[in-house]
Amino acid sequence: MGKTLSDRELEQALTEIGERLPQPTRDMWPAVRERIDKRRARSWWAPVVPRGLLAPIAATLAVLLVVALALTPDLVARAAEILGLRGIQIFRVTATPSPAPTTGAVVTFTGQRAASVEEASRVAGFPVRAPTALGTPDEIYVDAAPVRITLVYRSRQGMPATALPGISALVVEFRGRLDQAVVGKTAGPETHLESVPLNGGVATWLSGQPHQFSYFDPNGNFQAETLRLAGNTLLWEAGGITYRLEAQVTKEEAVRIASTIP
Amino acid sequence: MREPLGRTVVRGMRTDSLEGRPAEDAVLVERAQHGDTDAYGELVRRYQALATRTAYVITGTSAEAEDAAQDGFTKAYFALDRFRTGAPFRPWLLRIVANEAKNRRKALGRRPTVDLSVAEDRPSGDTALSPEAAALAGERRELVLGALRKLREEDRLVIAYRYFMDLSEAEMAEALGVARGTVKSRLSRALVRLREVASGEVTRDG
Repeated sequence: MGKTLSDRELEQALTEIGERLPQPTRDMWPAVRERIDKRRARSWWAPVVPRGLLAPIAATLAVLLVVALALTPDLVARAAEILGLRGIQIFRVTATPSPAPTTGAVVTFTGQRAASVEEASRVAGFPVRAPTALGTPDEIYVDAAPVRITLVYRSRQGMPATALPGISALVVEFRGRLDQAVVGKTAGPETHLESVPLNGGVATWLSGQPHQFSYFDPNGNFQAETLRLAGNTLLWEAGGITYRLEAQVTKEEAVRIASTIP
Repeated sequence: MREPLGRTVVRGMRTDSLEGRPAEDAVLVERAQHGDTDAYGELVRRYQALATRTAYVITGTSAEAEDAAQDGFTKAYFALDRFRTGAPFRPWLLRIVANEAKNRRKALGRRPTVDLSVAEDRPSGDTALSPEAAALAGERRELVLGALRKLREEDRLVIAYRYFMDLSEAEMAEALGVARGTVKSRLSRALVRLREVASGEVTRDG
């Protein structure tokens, strides 16, 4: 063969190769079902708690939580921490990347501008929610692949300044999970991590100098995410969407703001 | 050579799992989302061939491909609650399977080529050909296959989606996780590379 293939010959060869690719040799469903069952059983409580006891135990824990709630706010945080930590693994690393340089007064964000929360929701393909406590976001950015929404709140009265000039808070939303076995937290040595109750679930409060955290993307892959402000951060998940609030506010204030997400 | 190949490829050979059945898929997905595992089983059976082929193009071994496809189906099951209602299921699934296959290949240690091979004993359309023509067609397949083995993973995948799985442009975009406008240029770049490698082989062998 001393000549190159014509377009037609190349296409023909490709099509023929496609027809000859190996086929699965048997019905895959039994094997897949087995893997699904196995992964279901991997939940942390499975080896300890028989399925029939799950509901009573959950109820007991709920009662305990309510009692604790009634007692003292300090205990609330403590209980949440204990409960929350059952599903959390913390990866501590010795060094973390430096926060984004903040020289100069102009702060830029990646992605496309969206005019409104509604428009951002349309582009993102999931409902974008903004905490009402902060009012209307001043700017909204939509990053593609992976989709990430950034709500930017410029100076707000009563809100302390952050590491980024002219920015008082950021809310970032994307598809991802913080639950199940791992809320992987690649916290720097300076980072303090605490679980706090939020809207009936558990949120994670990062203080000190957090730079990044990790989550699972919709494909189940472990992803690292850099924090923009490298300051106090509240992280939580609802309906498959991971939310984070970055602002130099107290833990209580962050929880209050987060609880105003509609 | 902006678009080296036309769009006149033979279609309609494998209809078992390749026909787009979006309405039915959507119904099955919704049932699976509400805990109906049998509905998910139906989806697995429907797309197991497609998923395995996709994984095979990346891993290059049948055993690894089947394993990757099964893990892909498992991951997809647990990701179902994040599946956007109304979106096509097929490319979404393939994206997860391809990811799984890529991770597997990485874990096994990256090699520049894969052992991609196809059955050569199947007569299929060749019966109408003379022995000489059939032999020539076989040689061409071997040549193209040899070039495919040397392509980068992404190039192989885009070619496979177009020529082996017959995905539409929109489905390819979704499966590859790129903008729709990018698909065409990716495909034509991959074909240019395929042709380059293939003609390199020709000169060397011929």
